[in-house]
Amino acid sequence: MDKAKMKKALKDFWYGKPHGERRLGDLLEDKTGLYKHREWRGVKDTMYYFNNIWLYNYGMMVADILKSEEPLAFFKGVWRYRWVGQTYLPVLHWFDRGLQGLRGEALRASAWHYRGMVSVTIQQFQRMFAADTRLHGGKQNDYYNHTIAHKETVWGGVFYPWADKYKHVPLEMIPYFVTCHVNSHTVLNYIDAVQSIGLPGDPCPMCQAEAGIFVQDDVPDYSPMFITSNEACDASVASTALQDWFFDKPLYAMPQPMQFDDPLVKKHCAKEIEGAWKFVEEMTGVPFNWDQLVKNLEAQNELQRFEWEKWDVAANTDYYPINGVAQALYRIYQSQYGENFIWHEVDARVRKIMERCVKNKTVSFPETRHRVIAWSCAPLYFSNWCTWAYNCWGLNVVINMDSLMFDMTIRTDSYENTLEDMAQYHMWAPMRRMAVGGMHHFFELWKYMEQFNCDMVAMYDQLQCKGAQGMHGVFEDEFRKRNIHAFWIPHALPDSRTVSRAEIRRIINDYMTTVMHEEPLDPSLLEYDDSMSW
Amino acid sequence: MRKLFKILGKIAGILAGLYALLFAVFYFDLDGKLLYYVVEPFLCKHYDKMERQDVTKRAYKVD
Repeated sequence: MDKAKMKKALKDFWYGKPHGERRLGDLLEDKTGLYKHREWRGVKDTMYYFNNIWLYNYGMMVADILKSEEPLAFFKGVWRYRWVGQTYLPVLHWFDRGLQGLRGEALRASAWHYRGMVSVTIQQFQRMFAADTRLHGGKQNDYYNHTIAHKETVWGGVFYPWADKYKHVPLEMIPYFVTCHVNSHTVLNYIDAVQSIGLPGDPCPMCQAEAGIFVQDDVPDYSPMFITSNEACDASVASTALQDWFFDKPLYAMPQPMQFDDPLVKKHCAKEIEGAWKFVEEMTGVPFNWDQLVKNLEAQNELQRFEWEKWDVAANTDYYPINGVAQALYRIYQSQYGENFIWHEVDARVRKIMERCVKNKTVSFPETRHRVIAWSCAPLYFSNWCTWAYNCWGLNVVINMDSLMFDMTIRTDSYENTLEDMAQYHMWAPMRRMAVGGMHHFFELWKYMEQFNCDMVAMYDQLQCKGAQGMHGVFEDEFRKRNIHAFWIPHALPDSRTVSRAEIRRIINDYMTTVMHEEPLDPSLLEYDDSMSW
Repeated sequence: MRKLFKILGKIAGILAGLYALLFAVFYFDLDGKLLYYVVEPFLCKHYDKMERQDVTKRAYKVD
């Protein structure tokens, strides 16, 4: 090896290869997407990944389980429920897929978001298992009697008045929603199960999977009550009817209006929330606690204020250190689940990193060619497509629709104001405000595109969402009229069989070559087979 | 004193060896390979043959 080559090899070892020379696709095993070896990011970042992400998070996962209500219930749960055993063991691979190619501050800040999501996931399934009558010989223990079950699309803030005595655990967030991101294989069992009893294949696969978990008899029995909603659409109403049948518990249905600009509708929604509170009071015998509500709302407002600071940095500088997938998943998880101590711990860490980036003018994604806004509902089995898109094409997904839905704090100065704001928040539910909640809100895209200085749109196209499908042509017209570069990402939310990850990549590749006439930053990522990957 | 240093040296050696071993597991994605090729198929086989209640046999009570 000549001297220049040796020098270059040493430099690559110490600092990691420059972006264009990485060939990240070559690291992957064919089909499985496992790594022949994990990425060498230079000494500093590789050791950070090994010590502070890989080792740390394995350790913290064990610590979270040990700190939970009943640590040994974890093993019983893994043995009993497919969604936990099949999904959550390979969680560090989920980190790998989302953090691929990241360096420096972006690697650090994004990884903290994953840590928050893992912790709150463990808190929830450990509570489910500790309370589960199926794991306790049919006995309804104290945890069972102090847990409130609700649909994942009911905002956790509704239960703040009982937060000091009761824990709320959304029914599908852990068995369904998070699994799709971590291990896309698991959910297919549930989709097939519900179709096996006669449901046609074309309704929203999210609602299919949520009902399929029951058909597979794979739901913990962890609460004496259940609060449901109609969110996101009529398919959700149908899955709630199936859940009511199979769960067979006292149930309060708390619908969210499809059109929510009308003040009369807001009043109706406020009454629904009060109805849910009355239901919880009747079921628990514990009265509504205003102080608890205020305390938790204030804590949630603090999270929202930091989110606004993050958006400000993302919108107006190149120093935002959080990648597209970490931003999207963390934000929707936090804003939908509601207040939890771990969000504050993560935000404190991220604040330090972000402030350092701004102070030092650290350009976190130096290969950015386009600032992208992602709109509508993302493919759950390929939420890390934006990590791939940055590595391959320099497409930096700065912000996304899911992050922007709950763009508000909640007043706590009087009961009336609080209830009014809570109704507003409840109505701005995931997939409601900007996906199936009416023309005006669907088109908020233009406002946010300008606010975040984006020059390109990644438009998700959920093939089984009739609401979003109805808007496809109108969007096409608007993109042309406004001369906006936009590519469509067709998908079927959790079902990776309908549109594969490879197909999504092919569509983006085609757009970038034939429309944008650009060359890939890393050609090894253009085409590879990860059809059997988690 | 020398004996103490010897013991401490041994402990440090074992810890260094363990650290190197863990790094090898990390770098060559051995955790992923173990989970993908061994743990997941084993658990799936178990879940597939588990006895499950037929929930559709339950009466649907509307009250």
